[in-house]
Amino acid sequence: MKHSQLKEIIKKKASKIEFAIITNLENGLSEIYEPGKSLSKEFEIHKEQINNFFKLKKNGVIENTEIFIETYIRPIKVIIVGAVHIAQYLVDFAKSLNFEISIIDPRGYFASEQRFPDMKIINKWPDEAFKEIETNENSALIALTHDPKIDDPALQHALNKKFYYIGALGSKKTHENRCQRLKDAGFNSDQINSIHGPIGIKLGGRSAPEIALSVIAQLVSETYKK
Amino acid sequence: MKNSFDEKILEEANDWLNANQKVVLATVIQTWGSSPRKVGSRMIVNETGDFSGSVSGGCVESAVVRECIGLIKDNKPCKKIEFKVSNESAWEVGLACGGEIAVYLEQIS
Repeated sequence: MKHSQLKEIIKKKASKIEFAIITNLENGLSEIYEPGKSLSKEFEIHKEQINNFFKLKKNGVIENTEIFIETYIRPIKVIIVGAVHIAQYLVDFAKSLNFEISIIDPRGYFASEQRFPDMKIINKWPDEAFKEIETNENSALIALTHDPKIDDPALQHALNKKFYYIGALGSKKTHENRCQRLKDAGFNSDQINSIHGPIGIKLGGRSAPEIALSVIAQLVSETYKK
Repeated sequence: MKNSFDEKILEEANDWLNANQKVVLATVIQTWGSSPRKVGSRMIVNETGDFSGSVSGGCVESAVVRECIGLIKDNKPCKKIEFKVSNESAWEVGLACGGEIAVYLEQIS
């Protein structure tokens, strides 16, 4: 592989473009594949199989050939509501996982750049903030403020958009009240039960990094169930 | 989440190259049985044998480092190597877990 090609791959990764790297294992030639773009003659004859690997987001060698394909998958969008202490640790843990995090918090003193360097922070109320983030059933929500004014609109948005993971911080009592409010707002019990509340897997810890670890563990586990 | 690019190995390779090191990229291209790392797992090695990332659970990395240094010395562009189940009675490199893997080595130039 040429150094210039490596740089191009890193650039594509950073701009969250879906692509694949195709390598001829015999002669070492490699190319970057993007849907709709043409390939060199050598790889063009395998286009159908290459497309199949790409659609299935699979890595591997095409049968009876020496052509290896590696597909790049866009990271999963995770929206954290509440730029609180736990969120700082979540951001740390998520760095080594394939998650792209955005933080929403209308309270400026929480959502400061000094507390979250190099992070996408949206210093607005959830209804406004979600206009800036494209979300769908491949998105995840972690609600951490346990303040109904801030968490509830975000939870409603996530339920309407069918996020694959929705978790909300708070005690059992807080969660019961939250469920009642969502019921009053017209959400059915299946929707309400899909919320992970109290959030996280049971680790037993109560400190901010321990809670963050339990939340990220639950998120990864639910991601693999998708 | 089946994303093999998430360990920032390629970014690290770029840093090494920018520091004028010679770099070989090792990628798991095929696996059989219970191999520890999935296809697409990566490791980089420089001319002095420093390495980052992994292609197994520590079973074959030392052999991969040796092969990569050899590739740099011989100035070859690429090579494919296979590792099979280790023979417990011998002190040879192999996968103690019982799997088999094929690893592709390529120099980045």
